[in-house]
Amino acid sequence: MKVAFYPGCTIQTDQIGYEASVRNIMPKLNTELIDMEGASCCGFSPFSSFNEAAWYYSSARNMAIAERMNLPMLTLCNGCHLSFTETKHVLTKDQVMKAKINEKISREGLIYSGCLELIHVFELFHDKLGEDKIKHVVTKPLTGLKFGAHPGCHAIRPSKLIRPDDSENPKKLDEMIQWLGAETMDYPGKIDCCGSSLASTSGKTVMEMAGEKLKNVKNLGLDGLVTTCPFCFKIFDNRQRAIQSVIRDTSIEIPVFYYTQLLGLAIGLKPEILGLDLNQSPIDAVISRIGGL
Amino acid sequence: MEYKRYKYIRVKGSRISTYGRFSERRPYLIKQRLHNTLKKMNAEVCDQCGKCSSACPVAARIDGFSPRQIIAKICLGKEDELLKSGVIWTCTSCLKCKERCPEEISPYDVILALRRETIKEGRQHPTEYDEMIKTVIETGIAMQPQPARTRKRERKDRASLGLPKIQKPKDQEKYAEAIRELLKEIES
Repeated sequence: MKVAFYPGCTIQTDQIGYEASVRNIMPKLNTELIDMEGASCCGFSPFSSFNEAAWYYSSARNMAIAERMNLPMLTLCNGCHLSFTETKHVLTKDQVMKAKINEKISREGLIYSGCLELIHVFELFHDKLGEDKIKHVVTKPLTGLKFGAHPGCHAIRPSKLIRPDDSENPKKLDEMIQWLGAETMDYPGKIDCCGSSLASTSGKTVMEMAGEKLKNVKNLGLDGLVTTCPFCFKIFDNRQRAIQSVIRDTSIEIPVFYYTQLLGLAIGLKPEILGLDLNQSPIDAVISRIGGL
Repeated sequence: MEYKRYKYIRVKGSRISTYGRFSERRPYLIKQRLHNTLKKMNAEVCDQCGKCSSACPVAARIDGFSPRQIIAKICLGKEDELLKSGVIWTCTSCLKCKERCPEEISPYDVILALRRETIKEGRQHPTEYDEMIKTVIETGIAMQPQPARTRKRERKDRASLGLPKIQKPKDQEKYAEAIRELLKEIES
């Protein structure tokens, strides 16, 4: 399968370990990632609160690039995926806005028609590749490990726009982890927010919100937390030290992984090429249990 | 956009640095325009059941932020209070209020509408947005590459992980020009 690959700003500039894991596992899954020449920001964080037209322009522009490539578009970030979905929804209804956006993007020789197929990470692994293909490539099953899945808000809400998983009982990420040989368990606050969007306005609140979640994961004795969203990962993994100090609980030592990193380990890839060096949470014990160290 | 004043909004835990004015300009016009936007969102059918606030992770932690109260204030015509207070900038956009509302009102979308109105009026808003927009206009993406370090404090970058260059618009000026035009439209 060939897909137009849209990693998004946060992953390309800050979460490069995630991008490395995705690029390195795809050949094993017979999926070819084609980079989108001239891609730009999806517009969600800078413009959704600022100016609707600039937001739809930013999203439609990228979708127009993928349309020109005649391929479905894979997005890694929950925020980008929601941004594209919402823009598509709005521009289907609002033809005036669509014409206005098309006038702007036509200056770059692009045209947005709205026929693009969007693929979320869950849809790629769960719906398109599916259980058989994933189980088939696993050579080092993650037997004996038990994880908590964190799908992330924008992957499951709002259910009015079609989202990749159920809004109140998301199961896809759990199943994807189970196919790697590990167990999963629901924990209190599974569908709750990590708080990431508040990082610049009320840092302390974010730490409290994320801390509560990590505490729940710890209290159940899980071996780690797994996500596919770069914003959530940044908080749970990169900021775990800060969370410890804000909620004054140094016993919180939760390994945090991107799903694609676990998948990479399960198919026998080396931790370095999966960007696992860049995880800041204490993941070494889990990796050595899988036999990756 | 040019702003003359620079101040902080205080919320629990930290303060938000902002750009913008505090004074009211054309209060009647703002009310009228907001009324038109918000009418589409059905705020007046709200029963004040509070499902939004009970689901909201911020309402549980920041005093003064409550999606239910935001809708109530809109129904009472107190939009100005909301625009001034700065609480609208503490929503995490987790969308739980939108999901749980039995009347399909979506406090989240109402908050976004209020934010856009604040911007249109050039009132105080977090500087973060202006910085992101500046970066997008200059580079095509919302962030500059951040220094990445391993757990052993070694430096890593895209090249050392074998990743290709970051994709950016080929003609940055054409792209930036379109964004500038769209941003100008709201100011007029």
